[in-house]
Amino acid sequence: MAVAAAGAAKLAGAQEVPDAIKKLRPMLDGIQPISDEERRARVEKAQRLMRENKIGAIVLEPGSSTFYFTGAYRNPIDRLLFTVIIPAKGAIKGVMVKAGDTMIPANIDVRWATDEGDAFKKIAQALKESGATRVGVEERVRFAVYDGIRGEAPSLEFTSADPVTAGCRVIKSPAEIALLQRANDITLEAYRATFATLREGMTNGELANNMSAAFKALGASGGAMAIFGKYTAFPHGSIAPQKLREGDFVLIDDGVSIQGYQSDITRTVIFGQPTARQRQVWDLERQAQDAALKAANVGATCESVDAAARDVITKGGFGPGYKTPGLPHRTGHGIGLDGHEWTNLVKGNKTKIQPGMCFSDEPTIAIYGEFGVRLEDCMYITESGAKMFTKQSPSIDQPFG
Amino acid sequence: MQTPDEFQARIVKAQQAMKEFGLGAIVLEPGPAMTYLTGVKWGKSERSFIVVIPAKGEPAWVLPGFEEMRARELIHTGSDIRIWQEDESPYERVAQILKDRGVAAGRVGMDDAARFFVFDGVRKQAPKLDYVSATPALKSAGVDLTQPAGRGRGKQ
Repeated sequence: MAVAAAGAAKLAGAQEVPDAIKKLRPMLDGIQPISDEERRARVEKAQRLMRENKIGAIVLEPGSSTFYFTGAYRNPIDRLLFTVIIPAKGAIKGVMVKAGDTMIPANIDVRWATDEGDAFKKIAQALKESGATRVGVEERVRFAVYDGIRGEAPSLEFTSADPVTAGCRVIKSPAEIALLQRANDITLEAYRATFATLREGMTNGELANNMSAAFKALGASGGAMAIFGKYTAFPHGSIAPQKLREGDFVLIDDGVSIQGYQSDITRTVIFGQPTARQRQVWDLERQAQDAALKAANVGATCESVDAAARDVITKGGFGPGYKTPGLPHRTGHGIGLDGHEWTNLVKGNKTKIQPGMCFSDEPTIAIYGEFGVRLEDCMYITESGAKMFTKQSPSIDQPFG
Repeated sequence: MQTPDEFQARIVKAQQAMKEFGLGAIVLEPGPAMTYLTGVKWGKSERSFIVVIPAKGEPAWVLPGFEEMRARELIHTGSDIRIWQEDESPYERVAQILKDRGVAAGRVGMDDAARFFVFDGVRKQAPKLDYVSATPALKSAGVDLTQPAGRGRGKQ
């Protein structure tokens, strides 16, 4: 494969950017952020769900749920700086430890605290004012924060806020689906370019760097996981060093974030000519992915979608269940502001599929000691069935069509 | 990088502190305390990956079934590794470990950085225990809680 000429931009101070990636241009035109009006409607829905679930208020730390409701504080921080309280009635409140230069959204009524201890007192006070006796705690709030609030308000009952937060987030609006679409389009474009940089002897780290460079050229940023050969059987790869050889499967599993919305795509591509066995397993994987897509209809249970994909794999002679060689994990997960979020396509999940839900569809076939194949695209649910955000990989010979 | 013996010594020191602070066990998510005590760096995801360090005996691990091989590449302290499959509860495993190690009542130290859903899952499976912050005991044992957390992947 072509390697960039001398003098080209360098990656991480060492690696050159290949031509296929240098040709990429930003794909960020026309992106529409979530409107203030939509965020207000989210808070109203959360408040309705609080009343339905007998929760008087929910408590959040910076992170995806806070960003979802307020448009700020997307990144978790490791110190107690800001806690958000959404009461079942009334305005969003915040308790903040120090000022700094942080932007505070106009929709949050902020109280300042001198230190963490003072913050817990003020959070307890805000909860008391809301009249809550039962408080929903957002799933990623740290134990220390829960414990601090509990210390100041021991009579409150603390429960999971999931029925409220996931209850809102699991259904995506058209504006959210448009942002997810853009993230998916960018990701697939990055894959096309990155797979054109494969060359014998390259390390998986080098390929992952090419992937990051492709995302950057497209105007986005994202993580990168590239796996070669027998290590493709490990769904999350291996720490073992890997060099690309003729006949290896190459698996990339990645995504980017657009206005906070995540993509998650996997492609498994053969470097060279496939063996009959590689072709057979790749085709079976594609059939399993198709089966899940077809099953993900409004009203079907989440577990039935997992069963549909797993059934194809079992009939193909693998499994059953999570047994390997076979599909060792669930068929898919919800996706939105988090790469993995509620709800999952997994055995035991009797949640019914509704329009606006978004899922990954990725029934890996893992054959330890040999290889693994995963094809992953994300789908969104419409009244007339599930639609993929991206064109599925057409065949082992033409991975991008 | 520390040797397995050095991690073992750190665990013994933490266990002494647990006795002083009246903790029957500590429950840790991936993060600075897990890394300091066991050397294991693991990315936090929605799939719980937990080490239980009882006041007596070796650490016990709870981790996703399909991650077992990748996890075994990293775990060098403790041979009690219990997996949970995608439709099973990791917190039932944690509760069983506590029971097996004789922690039936009293206080258990939670990782201050543990996420609420992990704590909530554990307390539902083992509701008789009293969950308190593990930080005072960890600090007393010299655990460095400022190390960056492990990086890892949370895909599939």
